[in-house]
Amino acid sequence: MDRNLTHRNRRRVLKAVHFVALFLTMAIICIPGLWIVLNSFRPTVEIMAKPPVWTPSFTLDHYRAMFGGAGEGGVPVFSYFRNSMIVSVTSTVIAILIGMSGGYAFARYRFKGKGAYFVGLMLFRAVPGVALSLPLFIVFARVGIIDTHFGLILAYVAMNVPFTVWLTDGFFRQIPKELHEAAEIDGCTRWQAFWKVEFPVARSGVASAAIFAFLTSWNEFALASQLTRSVGSKTMPVGLLDFTAEFTINWGGMCALAVLMIIPALILTFLVQKHLIAGLTFGGVKG
Amino acid sequence: MKNSNYLKGLLASTALVVASESAVAAEWGSFDGVTVEAKLIGGQQYEGLYGRIADWEAATGAKVDIISKKSHFEIDKEIKSDMAAGTTSWCVGSNHSSFAPQYEGLYVDLNDYVSAETIAEFVGGNIGASTVGGELLMLPRAQFDVSVLYYLKSNYEDADKAAAFKSEYGYDLAVPETWEQMKDQAIFFADPPNFYGTQYAGKDEAIVGRFYEMVVAEGGNYLDDEKRPIFNSDAGQRALQWFVDLYEAKAVPAGTTSYVWDDLGQGFASGTVALNLDWPGWAGFFNDPESSKAAGNVGVAVQPMGSVTRTGWSGHHGFSVTNDCDNKEAAASLVMFLTSEESQLAESAGGSLPTRTAVWDANVAAAKSGDDAFRAEALAAFAEGAKYAFAVPPIPEWGETTNIVFPELQAAIVGDKTVKEALDDAAEAVDELMQESGYY
Amino acid sequence: MPRRRFPEWLVLLLPAFIVIAAVVLIPLIFSLYSSFTPYKLTRPSTLWRWVGTYNYEKILTDAKFWAAFGRTVLFLTIALNLELILGLGIALMVNKVTWGQRTLRTILMFPMMFSPILVGFQFKFIFNDNIGLVNNVLQSLGSNTALPWLVDGKLAMFSILFAEIWMSTSVFAILILAGLFAMPRDPLEAAKVDGCTAWQTFRHITLPFLMPFIFIAMTIRSLDVARAYDIVQIMTGGGPARRTELLWTLMSRTGYVDARMGLANAMGYVSIILSILFTIYFFRKLSAARAELGMAG
Repeated sequence: MDRNLTHRNRRRVLKAVHFVALFLTMAIICIPGLWIVLNSFRPTVEIMAKPPVWTPSFTLDHYRAMFGGAGEGGVPVFSYFRNSMIVSVTSTVIAILIGMSGGYAFARYRFKGKGAYFVGLMLFRAVPGVALSLPLFIVFARVGIIDTHFGLILAYVAMNVPFTVWLTDGFFRQIPKELHEAAEIDGCTRWQAFWKVEFPVARSGVASAAIFAFLTSWNEFALASQLTRSVGSKTMPVGLLDFTAEFTINWGGMCALAVLMIIPALILTFLVQKHLIAGLTFGGVKG
Repeated sequence: MKNSNYLKGLLASTALVVASESAVAAEWGSFDGVTVEAKLIGGQQYEGLYGRIADWEAATGAKVDIISKKSHFEIDKEIKSDMAAGTTSWCVGSNHSSFAPQYEGLYVDLNDYVSAETIAEFVGGNIGASTVGGELLMLPRAQFDVSVLYYLKSNYEDADKAAAFKSEYGYDLAVPETWEQMKDQAIFFADPPNFYGTQYAGKDEAIVGRFYEMVVAEGGNYLDDEKRPIFNSDAGQRALQWFVDLYEAKAVPAGTTSYVWDDLGQGFASGTVALNLDWPGWAGFFNDPESSKAAGNVGVAVQPMGSVTRTGWSGHHGFSVTNDCDNKEAAASLVMFLTSEESQLAESAGGSLPTRTAVWDANVAAAKSGDDAFRAEALAAFAEGAKYAFAVPPIPEWGETTNIVFPELQAAIVGDKTVKEALDDAAEAVDELMQESGYY
Repeated sequence: MPRRRFPEWLVLLLPAFIVIAAVVLIPLIFSLYSSFTPYKLTRPSTLWRWVGTYNYEKILTDAKFWAAFGRTVLFLTIALNLELILGLGIALMVNKVTWGQRTLRTILMFPMMFSPILVGFQFKFIFNDNIGLVNNVLQSLGSNTALPWLVDGKLAMFSILFAEIWMSTSVFAILILAGLFAMPRDPLEAAKVDGCTAWQTFRHITLPFLMPFIFIAMTIRSLDVARAYDIVQIMTGGGPARRTELLWTLMSRTGYVDARMGLANAMGYVSIILSILFTIYFFRKLSAARAELGMAG
């Protein structure tokens, strides 16, 4: 009886500790981000105030200014948003297609030097963006694809392909070979067998690769700042710098644009959440 | 109240400009069907000027295509990348006197495209600083960078403070005339972490520029005639000691070595810094209750002097025309328009300093006749400060030397090295650079 | 005569190879070449002057370079290890939660939605010594000092590490969480029956099973550690007095501000080697862990 009671107490204490620790962790994760959201609704004087103002007032000024015309603090938000969307979505789709094709090759074929090819492919992802940005710029400038969606899409596809190859490879390996062999016996071509049998099984893995690729492209700065120039191709992370003038930062305005940047990513992540976990669970490990 | 006055002034001068536009249309030439590609510095304070480009387009029949608009350092990176890739066929670029010598061979000598009379209308010193190796590389847009001393007036109106200061330092408390006095007062006023005596930009070219200005004020120099570094002289050590003393006495915010201009401006606007050396462009911001807690309490004085002389490190923006531009006449016309009297009148109403003599005069006259005492005081200080202005050495390596020197200055400030060690190390590295560049 | 055909696997891999060759390989060859020249951005003709290994000799004998190199290795080691430990802890905690888990997981991924450049600005302001959130809170709680977060040598390193860890721990947490979901129940229950303590169960059953996931996370992270560049550049720019100078900030300053691209590319190659070593190390660990679990394909 007595032992039971201490046992139950201990469990209660553990539960409380767990709850508190979880709460603190989530707070640390959330506060810096929420602080940005909060600041986007506060007047600049208040953000910069010293002593600090703890009861925030509410203003939509930063948003109003951001969507306002040139000269009133306006920033071509819609163009940036459109560019970001076009570039991120297209490059993700292409990277996934190329990645699936490559991953399938690694998973289903035997060939000489496979391991070396594979690691070699991965290593290209390890090249830091800062080291790549200038040579890439010079090559792109010679070809004439600076400041175009195409140039940026191409760069992001190359950035994401190693990762998508890797994840999809894991998926296809995990699907038993017998499955598509059976389909082929039933009269399917290899192509049909792939789409009808193997692809549906690997779908959640593809989804998780896609979200990683999308977030990478959506947030990338080092290459984008070098490869884009005008409103016609600048993406949102580059657009953030519109709020830094020669000597000043319009912090409130920057926060407002940041919020617009985070929302689509947040919605997307929430939607594919289930696939993401499922995908990662089966994907990488059984490679 | 004061704020709305500015606004009225701005509106009035803009209206004036619009009205006079049709009359002067012919002045800009006719370039029907020409497209001028431009790379311009981005930022709120420039939008008004860029808004006027439509007038130039209407007057000349040309079209301006702004192919890039970025902050100064980003656009510098972009222009250098362009030079490397050979993609320099755009026409008009934003430029800055500290950066101009680096862009070797990129921009045309504007003496060939702009009449001597027009050039004579600018302040002579600005034209001098825009000229590298005899070539006029840009037309100055605004003489943005002569820093003056902003201070909180209340500190000088308090009898108790004045008495305490006198008993401690032995002279009367008044707005500082010398760097030495400024240091004393900054240490006296400071009450960290709630209130600081002063602050300084602590990294990049910003701190090196201030250091350079003070070395000269102490009677030394940064480079000698052969471009050998000589900033590790006694004068240099005295100049650096000023930064170190302030830091050690905690008279400046501890983070000051990570500050550049935006941090300084915001810091003074928060009303927690007594003395602040800063640029003219902030004047309106500091005295605007919307943006600044110090509003109404701001005084402006000429920058302090060193033990030898008074100096002002200066630099300015301008617009340049590239050598690879297809229609340089059209490009030069746009540059002239952007730096014209009308453009500068409109811009200087927002607080920046003009580069044309006529606009200076107009500004001072307007401020005197108006009821805006702060504006008049600020303008007088700027005008006085501008007399001592000089630019950085016009060599391509200037920027690179600052990158060598600033970490060493920081090392002395935060106590990693002594003043002498830091300066000697910096001088040695700069010496190596200059030798590599073939100066001697 | 039969037409020579590419094997199917090569056809399937070709798009990946082509894209990577176009975007990564060609620029890399260019920058390798330029690292043997005194290439200055503003003097394109310098690209044609061969100086041999001058740039490499220069950086390899430069104490500042080695300081940055050592600091980068230190930074990566601390960051990756802490991210791993914290990520593991968070994943274990979230795994225990019985309701609202989907929301929790989305919150967990919150930092992944922040562009590194935004993270840089965000923490630059949060750690500002005068008006920053952290010092404001500390002072409201009665502290009477303004801690120079971005200036003091140790604090500055801590601040950039904090920002980096804040941004990237999510990747570890999510991947390890995925591992926990995949965990078979039987061994755990068997352990309970055998009277193992919670720690023993974790140490001998859970952790070994999670190892592959941990190395996947490590590998993913080691592939894009250079993203920390954006953060550090914005927060401290490598300063003050080079206290937070990492290879990447040194490189970009040399390359762009000083316009000495040849020299910067030489540094770039050293940093690429560093990335490659980290990656190969984790790949090996990953294969070993997979083999241990009998999952090798």
